[in-house]
Amino acid sequence: MLGYALDRLLTLVPTLLAASLLVFLFVRLIPGDPAAILLGDAATPEQVAALTRELGLDQPLWKQYFLWLGNILEGDFGTSIFFGKPVLAVIADSAETSILLAVTTMGWIVLIGVPIGILAAVRQGSWIDQATSGLAMLMASVPTFWLGLYFILVFAVGLGWFPSSGFPSITGEGGLLNLRYLVLPSLTLAAPNAALIIRLVRASMLDVSREDHVRTARAKGLHPLRVAIKHIFRNALIAVAGAFGFTFAALVSEAVVTETVFSLPGVGRLVVQSILRRDYPVIQGVILIVVVFYMFVNLLVDLAYARLDPRVSLK
Amino acid sequence: MALLEVRDLGLAIAAGGRLLPVVRGISFAVEENETLGIVGESGCGKSLTALAIMGLLEDTAIRITGGSIRFEGRELLTMAPAERRALMGNRMAIVFQEPMTSLNPVYRVGDQIVEVLRQHRDLSTSEARERTLRLLEMVQVPEPEQRVHSYPHQLSGGQRQRVMIAMAIACDPRLLIADEPTTALDVTVQKEILELLQDLQKRMGSAIVLISHDLGVIAETCDRVAVMYRGTIVEEATAGELFANVAHPYTRGLLASIPPADRDVEWLEAIPGRVPAVDQEIPGCAFHPRCPFVRDLCRTARPEGRDFAPGHSIRCHFPREWRT
Amino acid sequence: MNGLISVLRSVRERRLATIGLIWLALVCIAALGAPLLAPFDPLDFDPLARLAEPGWPHLFGTDHFGRDTLSRAIYGARMAVLIGTGSVFVALVVGGIVGMLSAYFTKLGHLLMRAVDVLMAFPALLLALVLMTLLERSVVNTIIVIGTVYATTTARILFGMTLKLKGEVFVEAAICSGAGHASVLFRHILPNLVSPLLVQASFIFAFAQLQAAALDFLGLGLPPEVPSWGNMLSEERIYITRAPWLLIFPGTLIILTVFSMNLLGDAMRDSIDPRFRKDVKGV
Repeated sequence: MLGYALDRLLTLVPTLLAASLLVFLFVRLIPGDPAAILLGDAATPEQVAALTRELGLDQPLWKQYFLWLGNILEGDFGTSIFFGKPVLAVIADSAETSILLAVTTMGWIVLIGVPIGILAAVRQGSWIDQATSGLAMLMASVPTFWLGLYFILVFAVGLGWFPSSGFPSITGEGGLLNLRYLVLPSLTLAAPNAALIIRLVRASMLDVSREDHVRTARAKGLHPLRVAIKHIFRNALIAVAGAFGFTFAALVSEAVVTETVFSLPGVGRLVVQSILRRDYPVIQGVILIVVVFYMFVNLLVDLAYARLDPRVSLK
Repeated sequence: MALLEVRDLGLAIAAGGRLLPVVRGISFAVEENETLGIVGESGCGKSLTALAIMGLLEDTAIRITGGSIRFEGRELLTMAPAERRALMGNRMAIVFQEPMTSLNPVYRVGDQIVEVLRQHRDLSTSEARERTLRLLEMVQVPEPEQRVHSYPHQLSGGQRQRVMIAMAIACDPRLLIADEPTTALDVTVQKEILELLQDLQKRMGSAIVLISHDLGVIAETCDRVAVMYRGTIVEEATAGELFANVAHPYTRGLLASIPPADRDVEWLEAIPGRVPAVDQEIPGCAFHPRCPFVRDLCRTARPEGRDFAPGHSIRCHFPREWRT
Repeated sequence: MNGLISVLRSVRERRLATIGLIWLALVCIAALGAPLLAPFDPLDFDPLARLAEPGWPHLFGTDHFGRDTLSRAIYGARMAVLIGTGSVFVALVVGGIVGMLSAYFTKLGHLLMRAVDVLMAFPALLLALVLMTLLERSVVNTIIVIGTVYATTTARILFGMTLKLKGEVFVEAAICSGAGHASVLFRHILPNLVSPLLVQASFIFAFAQLQAAALDFLGLGLPPEVPSWGNMLSEERIYITRAPWLLIFPGTLIILTVFSMNLLGDAMRDSIDPRFRKDVKGV
């Protein structure tokens, strides 16, 4: 298992290097002096000259890249123009919100998507199936920010059940109760993703239910629900697990819109605001970290496959 | 009273709002300790008959259009689903044709046998595991202590079929249906599996319905044989009577296409033509378009079942025509 | 060609998909005939009629500048169709060429698909945001960005499908009989991919609407003065309680359009070659 994981990790290295090269080139593609861009408009010529030396901007491009990469590997992602703090510290500040939002959202996706998907598959062709499939497709067709705005209108402004914006840290005053700030955002973000999972669970289960071993399970005299869950869903899970991982990995960046609607201090909102503020060091840092996270989660999905499907060999 | 009694069973495929008959009112009975062979080309309805007896036609396009299936004196077709499930895998069990795909790929084979034991017997997990080991020994799986922990893909086709058989006999079924149990296997393995089935039957005293397209397989194992063609039983007799005194031209064709074991032949006489499509209407005897001895009557009148000899029934206007 | 006909027939057999098709036709008519259909100039300010409720002469009310919502929505259909078809075009042409060539010329393919892998290491919305940072906010750039994002998935899908076809007897026969590369690719392989591509196109069209609306909302999509449904929602969101029609109306238009396209794709997917059914990425 460990050997396999390391092996897969090694195959990711070239992709990761190429992706980091793109992130590096991204700032160089903006017209103007990179040092001036990275320091912002308020920079003095002395600061620009100092950063030019530090980044080796007078050296050939490939040397600059390795210098930059070396700094990153040492944990130096540069300094935020807007906050005047190290980029890594800025990102760390928003990590809690993003991670908690992604986890709660994932919870909803599983909670909503799996049972409804199973129900639709078990009752294939019935009105329940048609209604849930249609509803799922509708849910996948709604812009998230629009849904979020109406969640705020109904559940925060109208009914007053949940707060409408912001997220105080769970380590501060309020503790875990602060998670109620994430209820509406996570539901908003979960809606389209749960819709996809409903349809995927249904389709994968219908695929599996045509397989011979399901007939064997029925011939054992098992209850249909046991056949559906222990035999059909368990096999369908092999196909669905990939989607879970992929969805989770994408949530951090998909949250951009939701975090903006609900004014959550997460990584997604940080990206957008940094783009609007032209805070390039932060943009660069966030992208790089999100990409690494994304690839890491996809690696975990691969490993999960091996656990879920005994036919996959880890060699 | 026979263990299993099928009367006028009719099955049809629901396709495009129509019902196309595939089994047209067949009747047969199986006694305790008996092996009945059902033989016919693919598409004759023999496997669907097996699924109907087992109660596995739910959620398929096949509808039961009439008749009755009585097992141990109880009507199966009107039985409540829960009662029916209590029989499945327990009093009656089935072995399928495809050992490669009939086991769940994500569970260890031992656990799959334990599952059926725990479903029908009040056993603790360790008792069920113990019994599983004995079952694997009974079906002659080598090294059962190791094999219980194997996943299906780690076993050979023959071993998987043995596991399927172990699963089927786990609860001492009175009726064991074997639907082409050896078709997907190598010839040598085929023989072993057939011998195993016969051996198990002797030990357990249950009835077996063996379904095959291969009259050779049937000849070796069965007490009685029913020959099916296009959803009807065209000839039925004890194995000895049938092979000594074959009367239906279709059965004769099937017999002629078994390669003789004692010598090499260059040419096997096969039945000309192909099984007609389900939606094709055939007036008269269903076999007449392919029958070498067809006469005018065969084209218009459907033959009724009648006794050709004591215990030997037949559906043919002109049995043993090739003699004259 | 037969595949294409059966795909279109499958749409007619599904009532919901037919309704979707009718809705999309209406959107196209609105897009084409916007100047004739719109009762007002979509950019005309009317300071006297700010936030007017739906009624006469403003059937769907006005926004906080006093611009006619109905007219802006009709012009918004134009943007929706433009962004949708434009993104589909970019995605299919770029992704299609990369995917097909990669599967056909193995060595080149190895290189190209690695490049696609690298781009796919960026989550879709993030990639769109990054590209938008480098480009000016404009209609063409929005199309390029969204098209590029979906070009990567399209490339991967076409790579897989072409690879499957490459092993087919009729393709091998064409190669053996001396057909040139272009002939094999375009006369033998491509025609078999038309139906799956059509399905993929409808899903990309639907995704593109949502992505464009999200970019508009974040202030990184179309220029603010362009009357698009996403901009309408973005600009008027603070009036959600005072003037609810300003959000309900464009929001419903986006949902109906995306939903219709998804229904269409779903209906068509059921009738394409089963081998390709799983390759198509959609709802």
